[in-house]
Amino acid sequence: MPIDRRRFITISGSAVSAAILASCDSRGPKSADRLLKYAERKNEGLERVLFRHTAMDETISGSRLAGAALPSYFVSRTVPIWSDAVNGPWSLEIGGMVDRPMQLSLQNLMDLPRTHQRVNHYCVEGWTAVEQWTGVRFSDLAKLVGAHRDAKYVDFESFDDGYHESWDIESAMHRQTVIAYGLDGHVLGPAHGAPARLYSPVKLGYKNTKYLTRIMFLPKQNGGYWSDRGYEWYGGV
Amino acid sequence: MAKLRHHWIVRLTHWINFVALTIMIGSGLRIFNAYPRFARRGETFCCYPWEGHPIPANLTFGGWLGGARHWHFAMMWLLVVNGLIYVGFIYLHGEWRDLVPRRGYFRDAWEMIKFYLFARRDHPIQGKHNALQRGTYFLLPWIGLLAVLTGIAIWKPVQLAPLTDLFGGFVWARYWHFVSMVLLVVLSVVHIFMVFAVDPYSLRSIITGWYNPENSPEERNARPFINLLPNRFRKAEKSNAD
Repeated sequence: MPIDRRRFITISGSAVSAAILASCDSRGPKSADRLLKYAERKNEGLERVLFRHTAMDETISGSRLAGAALPSYFVSRTVPIWSDAVNGPWSLEIGGMVDRPMQLSLQNLMDLPRTHQRVNHYCVEGWTAVEQWTGVRFSDLAKLVGAHRDAKYVDFESFDDGYHESWDIESAMHRQTVIAYGLDGHVLGPAHGAPARLYSPVKLGYKNTKYLTRIMFLPKQNGGYWSDRGYEWYGGV
Repeated sequence: MAKLRHHWIVRLTHWINFVALTIMIGSGLRIFNAYPRFARRGETFCCYPWEGHPIPANLTFGGWLGGARHWHFAMMWLLVVNGLIYVGFIYLHGEWRDLVPRRGYFRDAWEMIKFYLFARRDHPIQGKHNALQRGTYFLLPWIGLLAVLTGIAIWKPVQLAPLTDLFGGFVWARYWHFVSMVLLVVLSVVHIFMVFAVDPYSLRSIITGWYNPENSPEERNARPFINLLPNRFRKAEKSNAD
């Protein structure tokens, strides 16, 4: 049977629809992975160009603190709680490419210049929440330990089952990047990263390591928990 | 006699747009499903009736949130560059004249609606496109622009805060991004429906470029699903009847 125009349209139409349907809820062709990686690198380059230390996150007037509505995420099986009895007193280690490596107790942190900020939380999932953080600016800590100029990356490690995320130094040095020990006017609780965590609105939520134990200044980026599992490493906002 | 109707740049950008937009919508819906509501945590949102209801998974693309994001952030470049080439071309080459609404646009559009509703016997006289097509094809690039700008606004709400503020902040920018997607989907579905229901001959013209004006809906007096046969058969029918 010769294929007339109408038949051609029907057949090609069904073929295209079938191809589209077959690709639904799939990850797309494997062969596209390299292209997607390439795009991610180029996007990171653009995001770094766009980054301004003077660009500040501001919450919209009338927005409410999320408070108890703020989800608590961790990767351990249960809420990670630091046990002095098991692990000894908690301290934050700062090392790597620095002049003066340090171990700071929670009290040491609290004695440093304190900052309060009401900012948005941008989750990779698409939700936002308004939170008020109390803590120490990361840039103050970097000054304190004498971070080297060629330390272009920082790794933030935790006691939450190996969770960590490394950052570019520019984002870390942003004025709104803090090592926080207070949330919404209270002492930070175990659900949100006690005793201290990283928080900055310039990065997506998953980049902000909770249950902090160690900050390492590095010459190269060191991936991260979610970045190694396929989310963007840069995760800038 | 068939005539060349669409320049190859228009045809190429049309199909690239089809692929890019399909992937953008599919991956966008997968991203949306990670938080299928608009309200800020601890707040409510006024203007979305299906807060908390995810989009059916088989309408989404990317497999998982991270995968969908990679597709979305890669394909956005194809969509934008392709859109710029299309708009730049029709501007420089003159095709925009067939797309911008003319004087008396709403009267013409109303006549088309009346025709489709059998409230008018003869197909209104038109140029390349009828008034409803004109309006749609004119609106689409603007909705596309809105989708792109709101997309950038929720991609970089801190670094490009002034843009995000322009749309009312992150939550509203995300909402307008979603609404612009819905508008694009609705207009595209109607567009595809009308191609098959009124002017299947235009499918050839958007692939090969050739179109036989004798088979235009205007010549066939075609309404959805009615008078779809090519004119030569219809003329034969007519003479038989005479």
